[in-house]
Amino acid sequence: MRRALPRWCELLPALLLVAVALHQIFLARTEALSPWSGGGFGMFSTTDGWGARHLHAFALRPGLRRELELPEELIDPVRRALALPTEPRLRALAETLATLPTPDQGPLEAIEIQVFARRYDPVTLAPSGELLRGVVVRFDER
Amino acid sequence: MNAELAGRLTLLALLLHPVGPWPVRAALLGLAGLGLLWPRALASAGLWLAVAALAALRVALDWPMSDNHAYLLAYWSLALGLARLAGAPEASLARSARLLIGLAFAFAALWKIGLSPDFLDGRFFRVSLLVDQRLAPWGQALGGLDAEDFATLRRALAQHVDGPLPRPLELPALPAPLALAAALATVFTAALETTLALAFLVPLRRLAAVRDGLLLAFCASTYALAPVEGFGWLLVAMGVAQCEPERRRTRLLYLLAFALIGLYALLPWDELLAASPSSRR
Repeated sequence: MRRALPRWCELLPALLLVAVALHQIFLARTEALSPWSGGGFGMFSTTDGWGARHLHAFALRPGLRRELELPEELIDPVRRALALPTEPRLRALAETLATLPTPDQGPLEAIEIQVFARRYDPVTLAPSGELLRGVVVRFDER
Repeated sequence: MNAELAGRLTLLALLLHPVGPWPVRAALLGLAGLGLLWPRALASAGLWLAVAALAALRVALDWPMSDNHAYLLAYWSLALGLARLAGAPEASLARSARLLIGLAFAFAALWKIGLSPDFLDGRFFRVSLLVDQRLAPWGQALGGLDAEDFATLRRALAQHVDGPLPRPLELPALPAPLALAAALATVFTAALETTLALAFLVPLRRLAAVRDGLLLAFCASTYALAPVEGFGWLLVAMGVAQCEPERRRTRLLYLLAFALIGLYALLPWDELLAASPSSRR
């Protein structure tokens, strides 16, 4: 006869749920993870979903700061950067953006990325943009 | 009996609402079809552990973008697989279902009551009833707003802002019925989710009827507003698994809730609410 699993094994799914949810809270507190994402059951608890965030990327050249248009093929990394804007993730995005052609002359000095979340005034509901993360990845020192 | 029905409902949910990138989706659909058509597969731990592995793979590939029920599907499939390896599968699955439902609602309530800065003061629903595509038809109908006023409010709230606005924005006041609906939704949601967490986590057998009643009320109300049928169907499957065996009528109500959630997802809410007496569109 087959031996049954020990009783504690049935706790495994619940333990996984708790571990992932605590990790999500930690990332939301330390890395600006959107509470809607990451498996912590924070959906429908805040207006700060990743879809209410936006980012700007700039190419810095001598005497010039041009905002970059984000191409369609970068939708996926951009979405992920909005949901969880960690420094490594933003740096990786900057590395990709550095390869995009721009009409400008001169060597590329840096790519700057800023991630904003939309906040609402508690009384008037007037929206404002809060800078969650900003990185400047330099290319002129390499 | 409950475990078998819960398994069938889980697989049916996967068939009705396929998930994941195409290789994962194809494999999940194959397993769902196999389990529904072949009773031995449905009863095997292997099928459920494979579903759990694919659900976990989907979450990992999409990290951190997956919705919360994508995680819940992985935990629940793992529970279904482990229960089939346990000495008393029905009891084991019932305990797992109660724990998973209780914990999911506990974390949902924790976010709403303790962690989120903009839920308890009503901002979430005041904004979302206008801006969120899923809730906006209700906001427009409840607020008695005509299309122009609604669009003005919505544009103002959803505008692109970097930093503070140069001039403080003077928004038109929210209509009183909309503000009241947002306040009620805030209190109702926080209270219901907290009560659900407590009912499912407190191990008292006499709470069985309360648990079922609360979960059925949650499914019947929440998924009309927020049509996230994948989540609702998982909750129903878990609800069935933990339902006391003698509560046959309750099991039937769970099946009706499964159908109702599917119906909610199909209904053209925009058109129905536009035709409601309170709408001035």
